[in-house]
Amino acid sequence: MSSYLQLSGINKTYGNFTALENVDLEVEKGEFVTFLGPSGSGKTTTLMLIAGFATPTRGTIDIEGASLAGLDPQDRNIGIVFQNYALFPHKTAAENVYFPLQMRDVKRLEGMRRADEMLDLVGLAGFSHRYPKELSGGQQQRVALARALVFEPDLLLLDEPLGALDKNLREQMQIEIKRIQKKLGVTTIFVTHDQTEAMSMSDRICVFSNGKIEQLGKPLDIYHRPKTKFVADFIGESNLIPARITDAANCKAQSNVLGDVTYGTQSGTELRDGQEVSLVIRPEHLKLSSKRLADRMSAGIEIETIVNYGDNALVIGTSESQQIRVRVPGADVVILNEGDKCFISWTQDDVFVVTD
Amino acid sequence: MNTFVRWLGYLFVIFIAAPLLVVVPMSFSTSSSLEFPPPGLSLQYYEKFFSDPAWLRPAWNSILIASATTILTMILVIPATFALVRHRFWGKGIANLMMMMPLAVPHIVMAVGYYSYFGELRLVHTHLGVILAHTCLSVPITFLVLSANLKGFDRTLEQAARSLGASPRRVFLHITLPILRPGLMISALFAFIQSFDETVVAIFISGRGAETLPRKMFDSIRQEADPVIAVVSTLLFVAVILGLLAPQIVKAVQSALGRSARNASE
Ligand SMILES: Nc1ncnc2c1ncn2[C@@H]1O[C@H](COP(=O)(O)OP(=O)(O)O)[C@@H](O)[C@H]1O
Ligand SMILES: [Mg+2]
Repeated sequence: MSSYLQLSGINKTYGNFTALENVDLEVEKGEFVTFLGPSGSGKTTTLMLIAGFATPTRGTIDIEGASLAGLDPQDRNIGIVFQNYALFPHKTAAENVYFPLQMRDVKRLEGMRRADEMLDLVGLAGFSHRYPKELSGGQQQRVALARALVFEPDLLLLDEPLGALDKNLREQMQIEIKRIQKKLGVTTIFVTHDQTEAMSMSDRICVFSNGKIEQLGKPLDIYHRPKTKFVADFIGESNLIPARITDAANCKAQSNVLGDVTYGTQSGTELRDGQEVSLVIRPEHLKLSSKRLADRMSAGIEIETIVNYGDNALVIGTSESQQIRVRVPGADVVILNEGDKCFISWTQDDVFVVTD
Repeated sequence: MNTFVRWLGYLFVIFIAAPLLVVVPMSFSTSSSLEFPPPGLSLQYYEKFFSDPAWLRPAWNSILIASATTILTMILVIPATFALVRHRFWGKGIANLMMMMPLAVPHIVMAVGYYSYFGELRLVHTHLGVILAHTCLSVPITFLVLSANLKGFDRTLEQAARSLGASPRRVFLHITLPILRPGLMISALFAFIQSFDETVVAIFISGRGAETLPRKMFDSIRQEADPVIAVVSTLLFVAVILGLLAPQIVKAVQSALGRSARNASE
């Protein structure tokens, strides 16, 4: 077993409600893994099991091959950043950061010096004496991060830490967290329901849905090769088009909307002839044109709505009463009008198949 | 603000404060009986209060009983509040109801109960008897204040402390207790005032042995209408006001000290 953190066959039930079902996960040392999923999908529950605030109904959690079972939260050496930061209101920033060292019997003088160093690292030099209520949201966030890192934890867990910050600050903190994590090399699990955050920060993304891991992989793999309808829909924009496999050996499918389609070669999922599936095409992979293009597969649509974003535009059209979304560069949109009939076109590699 | 509402407000304040406007001047009176308005001003009854053992002994009893009541109440109520706010258990509803009971039962009924029951236990006319009775009466208000505080306490702070390496005992000492301290102080203060003020039960069971200040006042007004009563009333009022303002005073002093300490360190 080479992986650093290992979750095997984790189940968690509350009464007869299953919060987690058969969760398997391996995380390498120093890796940054993001749990991505809608609210209620079991992300926090998984973190709480790792942190020791709840015990799995079934399954095991190991760090470096040693089981965490029976270890109390205070003995696990895991740093956590909570969504509301959970800073101690009666302690200054430096005292908050000193707290984990104090609990490890580090003398105050030495501990406060290390706390100040850590506050320096997170960009809060000079704020040591402030109480949490005298700090802005972003600054509180940094204190929480410093406090979770100062004792050199074996693992850093962050539960939707940026949820309460506005957009600019969020992006700034994403970069900061990434920088600090790289610098310290701490193995990190980051929870979010924001897919762009997951995309931009992670080494790997673990997509949760209904208490199960839906897919685990590198951000671009997940984006370009989603395995299930849920992942395709949740990550990035997708056109999901119902279809039936006609010839699995030659990657052929047939759909009411797109007609006969050859899809890109599929890895992992086994497909049978006659199977009902969904075809996924990303809106930015579709091209709009007034005539059929010879070298691409195409289908006709009628433009319904055009939404302009400046640098690009979203064109929503319909074909056979199915909505199709197309992203076009901003410069191209001027020649389009709502109500126009035109063609969407794509290549084989733009189409992939997902099952439910 | 509407003029009518404002005048209603003034009227209300006067109505509330009226007894004080009568009692405080009478305490500085030269008259030999309770008389309003006072014919002349002097400190003679203050002198009498502070030199007469017949008044000082009940004052001392009151302080002793209120202090013991406060300590006993807190020892009982703190764990009970944690249990009732944080845990679910069989009979919780009934336990909650029992805690609040003394608030609903008239004091005179409680007093009669204590009089006969404590009589059996030979606790009538003892300090212990009054302390036990006052503790029962102090429980509801202390519990209300403390549970409101505890309900508003963010438990992720405790989880955070655990994850940072603190055992449950250290979490309680370093995090929970300091954050709840203002609430604890206020509820303790309420327990103290409740006991210090309590009259009905004290009249029934404190007797000569454990006579409290309010009881002594009651006896004295029936027998002689001694103007010292006005002195005691004024002192009680000042003490209660100081007690209620104590948190603000402490805070003001602390922030003043904190500021000068911070200035000194920079
Ligand atoms: N202590 C609990 N008792 C009962 N149900 C719970 C408890 N904790 C979590 N759940 C349920 O488990 C599911 C997953 O919750 P959670 O892990 O918090 O989701 P997420 O963090 O992905 O939003 C939710 O439906 C939630 O209601
Ligand atoms: Mg959550």
